[in-house]
Amino acid sequence: MKPFLFVLALLLSLTASFLGAQAPEPPSILVTRQLAEREGLAVGDLVRLAADARGERARTFRIAGTYEPTPNPLRLGLVPREVRLHLPDLLALTRDPDTPAGTERVSSVNVALVDPAEARRFAQDVNARTPGVFARRAAGAAGMGSIFVVLERFHYAIAAVTIAAATVFLLALTIMLVDERRETVGVLRLIGLPARRILVQVLLEGLFIAAAGALFGLALAAAAEGLINRFFQWRYDTALVFVRVTPRVAALSVAIAVPLGAVATVAASWALLRRRALRLARR
Amino acid sequence: MSDAVVAAQRISRVFPMPAGPVVAVCDVTLTVAAGEHIAIRGPSGCGKSTLLHMLGCVDAPSSGTLVFDRRDVSTLDDRARSLLRLRHIGFVFQRFFLLPMLTAAENVELPQAEAGAPKRERRARSLELLAYVGLGARADHRPAQLSGGEMQRVAIARALANRPRLLLADEPTGELDQTTGEQVAALLDRVNADGTALVIVTHDPVLASRARRVLTMRDGRIDHEAAR
Repeated sequence: MKPFLFVLALLLSLTASFLGAQAPEPPSILVTRQLAEREGLAVGDLVRLAADARGERARTFRIAGTYEPTPNPLRLGLVPREVRLHLPDLLALTRDPDTPAGTERVSSVNVALVDPAEARRFAQDVNARTPGVFARRAAGAAGMGSIFVVLERFHYAIAAVTIAAATVFLLALTIMLVDERRETVGVLRLIGLPARRILVQVLLEGLFIAAAGALFGLALAAAAEGLINRFFQWRYDTALVFVRVTPRVAALSVAIAVPLGAVATVAASWALLRRRALRLARR
Repeated sequence: MSDAVVAAQRISRVFPMPAGPVVAVCDVTLTVAAGEHIAIRGPSGCGKSTLLHMLGCVDAPSSGTLVFDRRDVSTLDDRARSLLRLRHIGFVFQRFFLLPMLTAAENVELPQAEAGAPKRERRARSLELLAYVGLGARADHRPAQLSGGEMQRVAIARALANRPRLLLADEPTGELDQTTGEQVAALLDRVNADGTALVIVTHDPVLASRARRVLTMRDGRIDHEAAR
Protein backbone atom coordinates (compact mmCIF):
# COMPACT_ATOMS: atom_id res chain seq x y z
CA MET A 1 0.00 0.00 0.00
CA LYS A 2 1.44 3.32 -0.98
CA PRO A 3 2.40 5.49 1.98
CA PHE A 4 1.05 8.65 0.44
CA LEU A 5 -2.43 7.15 0.33
CA PHE A 6 -2.21 6.64 4.06
CA VAL A 7 -1.02 10.15 4.52
CA LEU A 8 -3.80 11.68 2.54
CA ALA A 9 -6.30 9.47 4.18
CA LEU A 10 -4.93 10.38 7.59
CA LEU A 11 -5.42 14.05 6.86
CA LEU A 12 -9.02 13.35 6.16
CA SER A 13 -9.52 10.97 9.04
CA LEU A 14 -11.17 13.57 11.27
CA THR A 15 -13.83 14.07 8.66
CA ALA A 16 -14.25 10.35 8.40
CA SER A 17 -15.02 10.06 12.07
CA PHE A 18 -18.24 11.99 11.53
CA LEU A 19 -19.46 9.45 9.01
CA GLY A 20 -21.26 6.45 10.29
CA ALA A 21 -20.32 2.96 9.13
CA GLN A 22 -23.95 2.33 8.27
CA ALA A 23 -24.39 5.57 6.27
CA PRO A 24 -26.89 5.07 3.51
CA GLU A 25 -24.82 7.15 1.15
CA PRO A 26 -21.65 5.60 -0.35
CA PRO A 27 -18.48 6.98 1.18
CA SER A 28 -17.01 10.00 -0.53
CA ILE A 29 -13.65 10.22 -2.25
CA LEU A 30 -11.55 12.80 -4.03
CA VAL A 31 -9.99 12.10 -7.42
CA THR A 32 -7.09 13.83 -9.08
CA ARG A 33 -7.84 16.22 -11.93
CA GLN A 34 -5.85 13.96 -14.23
CA LEU A 35 -7.88 10.88 -13.36
CA ALA A 36 -11.16 12.75 -13.68
CA GLU A 37 -10.15 14.04 -17.13
CA ARG A 38 -8.90 10.63 -18.27
CA GLU A 39 -12.01 8.70 -17.15
CA GLY A 40 -14.53 11.47 -17.73
CA LEU A 41 -15.51 11.61 -14.07
CA ALA A 42 -17.51 14.38 -12.46
CA VAL A 43 -18.40 15.38 -8.93
CA GLY A 44 -21.35 13.28 -7.72
CA ASP A 45 -20.52 10.28 -9.91
CA LEU A 46 -20.55 6.84 -8.32
CA VAL A 47 -17.46 4.72 -8.92
CA ARG A 48 -16.41 1.26 -7.77
CA LEU A 49 -12.91 0.78 -6.41
CA ALA A 50 -11.06 -2.41 -5.58
CA ALA A 51 -7.67 -3.07 -4.03
CA ASP A 52 -6.62 -5.57 -6.69
CA ALA A 53 -6.61 -5.68 -10.45
CA ARG A 54 -9.28 -8.39 -10.65
CA GLY A 55 -11.80 -6.09 -8.97
CA GLU A 56 -12.62 -8.50 -6.16
CA ARG A 57 -14.39 -7.02 -3.13
CA ALA A 58 -14.99 -3.77 -4.98
CA ARG A 59 -16.85 -1.04 -3.11
CA THR A 60 -18.87 1.90 -4.32
CA PHE A 61 -17.82 5.47 -3.64
CA ARG A 62 -19.21 8.87 -4.57
CA ILE A 63 -16.86 11.50 -5.97
CA ALA A 64 -16.99 14.49 -3.66
CA GLY A 65 -14.48 16.58 -5.59
CA THR A 66 -11.31 16.72 -7.65
CA TYR A 67 -7.90 17.98 -6.58
CA GLU A 68 -4.57 19.00 -8.11
CA PRO A 69 -1.96 16.66 -6.66
CA THR A 70 1.09 18.21 -5.02
CA PRO A 71 3.80 18.19 -7.71
CA ASN A 72 6.59 15.74 -7.04
CA PRO A 73 9.78 16.13 -9.08
CA LEU A 74 10.75 12.55 -8.30
CA ARG A 75 7.63 11.28 -10.08
CA LEU A 76 8.06 13.47 -13.15
CA GLY A 77 6.53 11.80 -16.17
CA LEU A 78 4.09 9.69 -14.13
CA VAL A 79 0.64 11.17 -14.52
CA PRO A 80 -0.94 11.04 -11.05
CA ARG A 81 -4.24 9.18 -11.55
CA GLU A 82 -5.06 8.76 -7.88
CA VAL A 83 -7.89 8.93 -5.38
CA ARG A 84 -8.02 10.04 -1.78
CA LEU A 85 -10.13 7.99 0.61
CA HIS A 86 -11.03 8.48 4.23
CA LEU A 87 -8.76 6.28 6.31
CA PRO A 88 -11.49 3.85 7.50
CA ASP A 89 -12.65 3.41 3.90
CA LEU A 90 -9.12 2.79 2.77
CA LEU A 91 -8.55 0.22 5.46
CA ALA A 92 -11.83 -1.50 4.73
CA LEU A 93 -10.99 -1.62 1.05
CA THR A 94 -7.49 -2.97 1.44
CA ARG A 95 -7.80 -5.15 4.55
CA ASP A 96 -7.26 -8.86 4.13
CA PRO A 97 -10.60 -10.66 4.67
CA ASP A 98 -9.03 -12.69 7.44
CA THR A 99 -7.78 -9.63 9.34
CA PRO A 100 -10.24 -8.35 11.96
CA ALA A 101 -11.07 -4.65 11.74
CA GLY A 102 -8.89 -2.54 13.99
CA THR A 103 -5.85 -4.82 13.82
CA GLU A 104 -4.38 -3.31 10.67
CA ARG A 105 -0.76 -2.22 10.66
CA VAL A 106 0.95 0.62 8.91
CA SER A 107 4.68 0.95 8.39
CA SER A 108 4.95 4.73 8.18
CA VAL A 109 2.95 7.86 8.80
CA ASN A 110 3.73 11.35 7.59
CA VAL A 111 3.02 14.16 10.01
CA ALA A 112 2.56 17.73 8.84
CA LEU A 113 3.74 20.29 11.40
CA VAL A 114 2.37 23.79 11.73
CA ASP A 115 5.94 25.06 11.79
CA PRO A 116 8.15 22.96 9.46
CA ALA A 117 11.23 24.41 11.13
CA GLU A 118 10.34 22.37 14.18
CA ALA A 119 10.74 19.08 12.26
CA ARG A 120 14.16 18.15 13.58
CA ARG A 121 13.25 18.86 17.20
CA PHE A 122 9.92 17.06 16.81
CA ALA A 123 11.65 13.97 15.37
CA GLN A 124 14.15 13.95 18.24
CA ASP A 125 11.32 14.29 20.73
CA VAL A 126 9.33 11.40 19.21
CA ASN A 127 12.42 9.17 19.06
CA ALA A 128 13.15 9.90 22.71
CA ARG A 129 9.61 9.34 23.94
CA THR A 130 8.47 6.38 21.80
CA PRO A 131 10.73 3.33 21.70
CA GLY A 132 10.29 1.30 18.52
CA VAL A 133 9.23 4.31 16.45
CA PHE A 134 11.75 5.94 14.23
CA ALA A 135 10.99 9.53 13.30
CA ARG A 136 12.94 11.62 10.85
CA ARG A 137 12.49 14.73 8.76
CA ALA A 138 10.68 14.18 5.47
CA ALA A 139 13.30 16.28 3.67
CA GLY A 140 15.84 13.58 4.38
CA ALA A 141 13.50 10.69 3.79
CA ALA A 142 13.92 8.27 0.93
CA GLY A 143 17.10 10.04 -0.18
CA MET A 144 15.14 12.98 -1.65
CA GLY A 145 17.39 15.52 -0.02
CA SER A 146 20.56 14.03 -1.42
CA ILE A 147 19.05 13.85 -4.90
CA PHE A 148 18.30 17.57 -4.82
CA VAL A 149 21.73 18.38 -3.42
CA VAL A 150 23.24 16.55 -6.40
CA LEU A 151 20.85 18.35 -8.75
CA GLU A 152 21.76 21.70 -7.23
CA ARG A 153 25.47 21.00 -7.63
CA PHE A 154 24.83 19.93 -11.18
CA HIS A 155 23.07 23.23 -11.80
CA TYR A 156 25.99 25.13 -10.28
CA ALA A 157 28.38 23.26 -12.58
CA ILE A 158 26.24 24.11 -15.61
CA ALA A 159 26.08 27.74 -14.46
CA ALA A 160 29.86 27.91 -14.05
CA VAL A 161 30.46 26.46 -17.52
CA THR A 162 27.84 28.79 -19.00
CA ILE A 163 29.42 31.85 -17.38
CA ALA A 164 32.89 30.81 -18.55
CA ALA A 165 31.65 30.28 -22.11
CA ALA A 166 29.65 33.52 -22.01
CA THR A 167 32.74 35.40 -20.80
CA VAL A 168 34.79 34.14 -23.74
CA PHE A 169 31.95 35.02 -26.10
CA LEU A 170 31.54 38.45 -24.50
CA LEU A 171 35.27 39.18 -24.74
CA ALA A 172 35.36 38.15 -28.39
CA LEU A 173 32.28 40.26 -29.11
CA THR A 174 33.70 43.23 -27.22
CA ILE A 175 37.02 43.01 -29.02
CA MET A 176 35.16 43.00 -32.32
CA LEU A 177 33.02 45.96 -31.28
CA VAL A 178 35.99 47.93 -29.99
CA ASP A 179 37.97 47.08 -33.11
CA GLU A 180 35.09 48.47 -35.17
CA ARG A 181 35.70 51.77 -33.38
CA ARG A 182 39.46 51.82 -33.72
CA GLU A 183 39.34 54.63 -36.29
CA THR A 184 37.14 56.72 -33.98
CA VAL A 185 39.47 56.03 -31.07
CA GLY A 186 42.45 56.93 -33.25
CA VAL A 187 40.85 60.22 -34.31
CA LEU A 188 40.02 61.09 -30.70
CA ARG A 189 43.61 60.38 -29.71
CA LEU A 190 44.91 62.54 -32.58
CA ILE A 191 42.61 65.40 -31.60
CA GLY A 192 44.13 65.26 -28.15
CA LEU A 193 41.92 63.14 -25.92
CA PRO A 194 44.08 61.38 -23.32
CA ALA A 195 43.93 57.58 -23.29
CA ARG A 196 42.53 57.68 -19.77
CA ARG A 197 39.67 59.96 -20.81
CA ILE A 198 38.73 57.58 -23.63
CA LEU A 199 39.03 54.61 -21.27
CA VAL A 200 36.63 56.23 -18.77
CA GLN A 201 34.19 56.94 -21.60
CA VAL A 202 34.45 53.35 -22.78
CA LEU A 203 34.00 52.08 -19.22
CA LEU A 204 30.82 54.12 -18.81
CA GLU A 205 29.53 52.84 -22.13
CA GLY A 206 30.49 49.30 -21.14
CA LEU A 207 28.65 49.64 -17.83
CA PHE A 208 25.57 51.00 -19.57
CA ILE A 209 25.58 48.32 -22.25
CA ALA A 210 26.24 45.56 -19.71
CA ALA A 211 23.43 46.82 -17.47
CA ALA A 212 21.07 47.08 -20.41
CA GLY A 213 22.14 43.60 -21.55
CA ALA A 214 21.61 42.18 -18.08
CA LEU A 215 18.13 43.71 -17.87
CA PHE A 216 17.32 42.40 -21.33
CA GLY A 217 18.57 38.99 -20.25
CA LEU A 218 16.36 39.11 -17.18
CA ALA A 219 13.34 40.09 -19.28
CA LEU A 220 14.17 37.22 -21.64
CA ALA A 221 14.52 34.84 -18.71
CA ALA A 222 11.20 36.00 -17.28
CA ALA A 223 9.50 35.42 -20.62
CA ALA A 224 11.26 32.07 -21.09
CA GLU A 225 10.30 31.07 -17.55
CA GLY A 226 6.61 31.27 -18.41
CA LEU A 227 7.04 29.50 -21.74
CA ILE A 228 9.23 26.71 -20.37
CA ASN A 229 6.94 26.11 -17.39
CA ARG A 230 3.83 26.08 -19.55
CA PHE A 231 5.38 23.72 -22.07
CA PHE A 232 6.65 21.17 -19.54
CA GLN A 233 3.55 21.45 -17.39
CA TRP A 234 1.56 20.62 -20.51
CA ARG A 235 4.02 17.92 -21.55
CA TYR A 236 4.01 16.11 -18.19
CA ASP A 237 0.52 17.17 -17.07
CA THR A 238 1.77 18.54 -13.79
CA ALA A 239 1.67 21.74 -11.77
CA LEU A 240 5.41 21.40 -11.11
CA VAL A 241 7.38 24.63 -11.60
CA PHE A 242 10.46 23.86 -13.72
CA VAL A 243 12.07 27.30 -13.93
CA ARG A 244 11.85 30.15 -11.46
CA VAL A 245 13.76 33.43 -11.73
CA THR A 246 13.87 34.54 -8.13
CA PRO A 247 15.01 38.02 -7.03
CA ARG A 248 18.20 36.40 -5.70
CA VAL A 249 18.93 34.76 -9.04
CA ALA A 250 18.17 38.04 -10.84
CA ALA A 251 20.42 40.05 -8.52
CA LEU A 252 23.21 37.49 -8.87
CA SER A 253 22.94 37.57 -12.68
CA VAL A 254 23.17 41.37 -12.74
CA ALA A 255 26.01 41.32 -10.19
CA ILE A 256 27.98 38.98 -12.45
CA ALA A 257 27.00 40.41 -15.84
CA VAL A 258 27.60 44.13 -15.25
CA PRO A 259 31.18 43.97 -13.90
CA LEU A 260 32.01 41.24 -16.42
CA GLY A 261 30.76 43.36 -19.33
CA ALA A 262 32.55 46.46 -18.08
CA VAL A 263 35.82 44.62 -17.49
CA ALA A 264 35.62 42.96 -20.91
CA THR A 265 35.05 46.35 -22.58
CA VAL A 266 37.88 48.03 -20.71
CA ALA A 267 40.26 45.13 -21.35
CA ALA A 268 39.53 45.20 -25.07
CA SER A 269 39.80 49.00 -25.19
CA TRP A 270 43.00 49.05 -23.21
CA ALA A 271 44.62 46.73 -25.72
CA LEU A 272 43.52 49.13 -28.45
CA LEU A 273 44.64 52.30 -26.68
CA ARG A 274 48.14 50.98 -26.25
CA ARG A 275 48.61 51.17 -30.01
CA ARG A 276 49.79 54.33 -31.68
CA ALA A 277 46.99 56.77 -32.54
CA LEU A 278 47.94 56.96 -36.19
CA ARG A 279 47.91 53.20 -36.57
CA LEU A 280 44.41 53.17 -35.12
CA ALA A 281 43.16 55.90 -37.40
CA ARG A 282 44.68 54.28 -40.49
CA ARG A 283 42.92 51.01 -41.26
CA MET B 1 64.46 81.58 -31.40
CA SER B 2 62.21 83.34 -28.92
CA ASP B 3 59.02 83.12 -31.00
CA ALA B 4 59.51 79.46 -31.90
CA VAL B 5 56.37 77.36 -31.66
CA VAL B 6 58.22 74.10 -31.86
CA ALA B 7 61.93 73.39 -31.96
CA ALA B 8 63.41 70.00 -32.77
CA GLN B 9 67.06 69.51 -31.87
CA ARG B 10 68.71 66.47 -33.51
CA ILE B 11 65.64 64.31 -33.22
CA SER B 12 65.59 60.76 -34.55
CA ARG B 13 62.90 58.13 -34.71
CA VAL B 14 63.78 54.46 -34.85
CA PHE B 15 61.10 51.79 -35.22
CA PRO B 16 62.06 48.41 -33.85
CA MET B 17 61.11 45.74 -36.38
CA PRO B 18 61.51 41.96 -36.30
CA ALA B 19 63.95 42.20 -39.21
CA GLY B 20 65.92 44.94 -37.47
CA PRO B 21 65.42 48.58 -36.46
CA VAL B 22 64.22 51.02 -39.12
CA VAL B 23 65.47 54.61 -38.88
CA ALA B 24 62.59 56.76 -40.14
CA VAL B 25 64.00 60.15 -39.08
CA CYS B 26 67.67 60.73 -38.39
CA ASP B 27 69.23 63.65 -36.59
CA VAL B 28 66.84 66.38 -37.76
CA THR B 29 67.05 69.88 -36.40
CA LEU B 30 64.17 72.17 -37.24
CA THR B 31 62.49 75.22 -35.75
CA VAL B 32 59.01 76.37 -36.66
CA ALA B 33 58.46 80.00 -35.82
CA ALA B 34 55.09 81.55 -35.03
CA GLY B 35 53.15 82.28 -38.21
CA GLU B 36 55.63 80.44 -40.39
CA HIS B 37 54.63 78.44 -43.48
CA ILE B 38 56.78 75.38 -44.15
CA ALA B 39 56.39 72.59 -46.68
CA ILE B 40 58.18 69.26 -46.31
CA ARG B 41 58.71 67.30 -49.50
CA GLY B 42 60.43 64.09 -50.37
CA PRO B 43 59.87 60.61 -51.76
CA SER B 44 57.63 58.08 -50.03
CA GLY B 45 59.23 56.56 -46.96
CA CYS B 46 61.72 59.39 -46.51
CA GLY B 47 60.38 60.13 -43.01
CA LYS B 48 58.43 63.35 -43.63
CA SER B 49 55.18 62.13 -42.06
CA THR B 50 57.06 60.69 -39.09
CA LEU B 51 58.75 64.06 -38.60
CA LEU B 52 55.37 65.78 -38.79
CA HIS B 53 53.91 63.41 -36.18
CA MET B 54 56.81 64.11 -33.85
CA LEU B 55 56.39 67.88 -34.32
CA GLY B 56 52.72 67.39 -33.44
CA CYS B 57 53.48 65.30 -30.35
CA VAL B 58 51.61 62.32 -31.77
CA ASP B 59 54.83 60.35 -31.79
CA ALA B 60 57.85 60.73 -29.55
CA PRO B 61 61.43 60.95 -30.82
CA SER B 62 63.73 58.04 -30.00
CA SER B 63 66.49 60.56 -29.34
CA GLY B 64 67.05 64.30 -29.46
CA THR B 65 65.05 67.12 -27.92
CA LEU B 66 61.67 68.45 -28.92
CA VAL B 67 60.53 71.69 -27.32
CA PHE B 68 57.00 72.92 -27.84
CA ASP B 69 56.17 76.36 -26.49
CA ARG B 70 59.29 76.22 -24.28
CA ARG B 71 58.27 72.87 -22.84
CA ASP B 72 60.40 69.77 -23.36
CA VAL B 73 57.90 67.30 -24.79
CA SER B 74 59.97 64.28 -23.73
CA THR B 75 59.26 65.11 -20.08
CA LEU B 76 55.49 65.15 -20.58
CA ASP B 77 53.27 62.14 -19.88
CA ASP B 78 50.48 60.96 -22.18
CA ARG B 79 47.88 63.21 -20.59
CA ALA B 80 50.04 66.34 -20.80
CA ARG B 81 51.03 65.61 -24.40
CA SER B 82 47.37 64.98 -25.27
CA LEU B 83 46.36 68.30 -23.74
CA LEU B 84 49.16 70.03 -25.61
CA ARG B 85 47.82 68.56 -28.85
CA LEU B 86 44.27 69.45 -27.91
CA ARG B 87 44.95 73.09 -27.07
CA HIS B 88 47.88 74.15 -29.24
CA ILE B 89 48.16 71.90 -32.30
CA GLY B 90 45.74 71.30 -35.14
CA PHE B 91 45.97 68.30 -37.45
CA VAL B 92 44.72 67.87 -40.99
CA PHE B 93 45.13 64.48 -42.61
CA GLN B 94 44.83 63.18 -46.13
CA ARG B 95 41.84 61.02 -45.17
CA PHE B 96 40.04 63.75 -43.18
CA PHE B 97 39.32 61.48 -40.17
CA LEU B 98 35.98 63.03 -39.36
CA LEU B 99 33.75 61.13 -36.98
CA PRO B 100 30.98 59.78 -39.22
CA MET B 101 28.29 59.76 -36.55
CA LEU B 102 28.65 63.47 -35.84
CA THR B 103 27.52 66.41 -37.96
CA ALA B 104 30.04 68.89 -39.35
CA ALA B 105 29.31 71.30 -36.49
CA GLU B 106 29.59 68.53 -33.89
CA ASN B 107 32.92 67.42 -35.35
CA VAL B 108 34.18 70.98 -34.93
CA GLU B 109 32.70 71.20 -31.45
CA LEU B 110 34.38 68.04 -30.21
CA PRO B 111 37.89 69.44 -29.52
CA GLN B 112 36.35 72.51 -27.90
CA ALA B 113 34.17 70.35 -25.67
CA GLU B 114 37.21 68.38 -24.59
CA ALA B 115 39.05 71.63 -23.91
CA GLY B 116 36.21 72.67 -21.61
CA ALA B 117 34.52 75.38 -23.67
CA PRO B 118 30.91 76.16 -22.69
CA LYS B 119 28.30 74.71 -25.03
CA ARG B 120 26.96 78.01 -26.34
CA GLU B 121 30.44 79.35 -26.96
CA ARG B 122 31.63 76.27 -28.81
CA ARG B 123 28.49 76.16 -30.93
CA ALA B 124 29.04 79.76 -31.96
CA ARG B 125 32.74 79.10 -32.63
CA SER B 126 31.89 76.02 -34.73
CA LEU B 127 29.43 77.94 -36.88
CA GLU B 128 31.94 80.77 -37.23
CA LEU B 129 34.66 78.33 -38.34
CA LEU B 130 32.38 76.51 -40.75
CA ALA B 131 31.48 79.89 -42.26
CA TYR B 132 35.23 80.67 -42.41
CA VAL B 133 35.87 77.53 -44.48
CA GLY B 134 32.79 78.24 -46.63
CA LEU B 135 30.51 75.58 -45.16
CA GLY B 136 28.16 77.66 -43.04
CA ALA B 137 25.18 76.06 -44.73
CA ARG B 138 26.40 72.50 -44.15
CA ALA B 139 26.74 72.64 -40.38
CA ASP B 140 24.15 69.96 -39.76
CA HIS B 141 25.32 67.60 -42.48
CA ARG B 142 27.14 64.41 -41.62
CA PRO B 143 30.45 63.55 -43.33
CA ALA B 144 28.74 61.02 -45.59
CA GLN B 145 26.63 63.85 -47.00
CA LEU B 146 29.68 65.97 -47.86
CA SER B 147 32.10 65.86 -50.79
CA GLY B 148 35.82 65.16 -50.28
CA GLY B 149 36.71 68.85 -50.47
CA GLU B 150 33.96 69.73 -48.02
CA MET B 151 35.09 67.04 -45.61
CA GLN B 152 38.64 68.38 -45.74
CA ARG B 153 37.38 71.88 -45.06
CA VAL B 154 35.43 70.57 -42.05
CA ALA B 155 38.65 68.85 -40.92
CA ILE B 156 40.48 72.19 -41.20
CA ALA B 157 37.71 73.91 -39.21
CA ARG B 158 38.03 71.20 -36.57
CA ALA B 159 41.81 71.63 -36.49
CA LEU B 160 41.34 75.35 -35.85
CA ALA B 161 38.67 74.86 -33.19
CA ASN B 162 40.88 75.58 -30.18
CA ARG B 163 42.84 78.38 -31.88
CA PRO B 164 46.08 76.37 -32.24
CA ARG B 165 49.45 78.02 -32.68
CA LEU B 166 50.53 75.28 -35.07
CA LEU B 167 48.60 73.57 -37.85
CA LEU B 168 50.10 70.38 -39.26
CA ALA B 169 48.80 69.02 -42.54
CA ASP B 170 49.76 65.60 -43.89
CA GLU B 171 49.03 65.44 -47.63
CA PRO B 172 45.91 67.59 -47.21
CA THR B 173 45.10 67.55 -50.91
CA GLY B 174 46.12 63.96 -51.53
CA GLU B 175 42.58 62.66 -51.97
CA LEU B 176 41.17 65.69 -53.77
CA ASP B 177 40.96 66.64 -57.43
CA GLN B 178 43.05 69.56 -58.64
CA THR B 179 40.37 72.25 -58.37
CA THR B 180 39.24 71.16 -54.92
CA GLY B 181 42.86 70.75 -53.87
CA GLU B 182 43.57 74.34 -54.86
CA GLN B 183 40.57 75.54 -52.86
CA VAL B 184 41.86 73.67 -49.80
CA ALA B 185 45.39 75.02 -50.40
CA ALA B 186 44.02 78.56 -50.61
CA LEU B 187 42.14 78.00 -47.38
CA LEU B 188 45.33 76.80 -45.67
CA ASP B 189 47.11 79.90 -46.97
CA ARG B 190 44.41 82.03 -45.41
CA VAL B 191 44.73 80.18 -42.09
CA ASN B 192 48.46 80.87 -42.16
CA ALA B 193 47.94 84.50 -43.15
CA ASP B 194 45.65 84.85 -40.12
CA GLY B 195 48.59 83.96 -37.86
CA THR B 196 48.71 80.18 -37.44
CA ALA B 197 52.05 78.51 -38.14
CA LEU B 198 51.58 75.91 -40.88
CA VAL B 199 53.65 72.83 -41.70
CA ILE B 200 52.53 70.84 -44.70
CA VAL B 201 53.85 67.47 -45.80
CA THR B 202 53.16 66.97 -49.48
CA HIS B 203 54.21 65.30 -52.68
CA ASP B 204 52.56 68.10 -54.64
CA PRO B 205 55.17 70.62 -55.88
CA VAL B 206 52.48 73.24 -56.52
CA LEU B 207 51.22 73.02 -52.96
CA ALA B 208 54.78 73.03 -51.63
CA SER B 209 55.63 76.12 -53.68
CA ARG B 210 53.08 78.15 -51.72
CA ALA B 211 55.23 77.82 -48.56
CA ARG B 212 57.93 80.31 -47.60
CA ARG B 213 60.31 77.50 -46.61
CA VAL B 214 60.50 74.21 -48.44
CA LEU B 215 62.41 71.34 -46.84
CA THR B 216 63.28 68.32 -48.91
CA MET B 217 63.87 65.08 -47.04
CA ARG B 218 65.73 61.98 -48.11
CA ASP B 219 66.46 58.87 -46.06
CA GLY B 220 65.21 60.43 -42.84
CA ARG B 221 67.30 63.58 -43.11
CA ILE B 222 66.65 67.09 -44.36
CA ASP B 223 68.51 67.03 -47.62
CA HIS B 224 67.78 70.52 -48.89
CA GLU B 225 66.13 73.70 -47.69
CA ALA B 226 64.87 76.53 -49.85
CA ALA B 227 63.38 79.83 -48.80
CA ARG B 228 61.12 82.04 -50.86
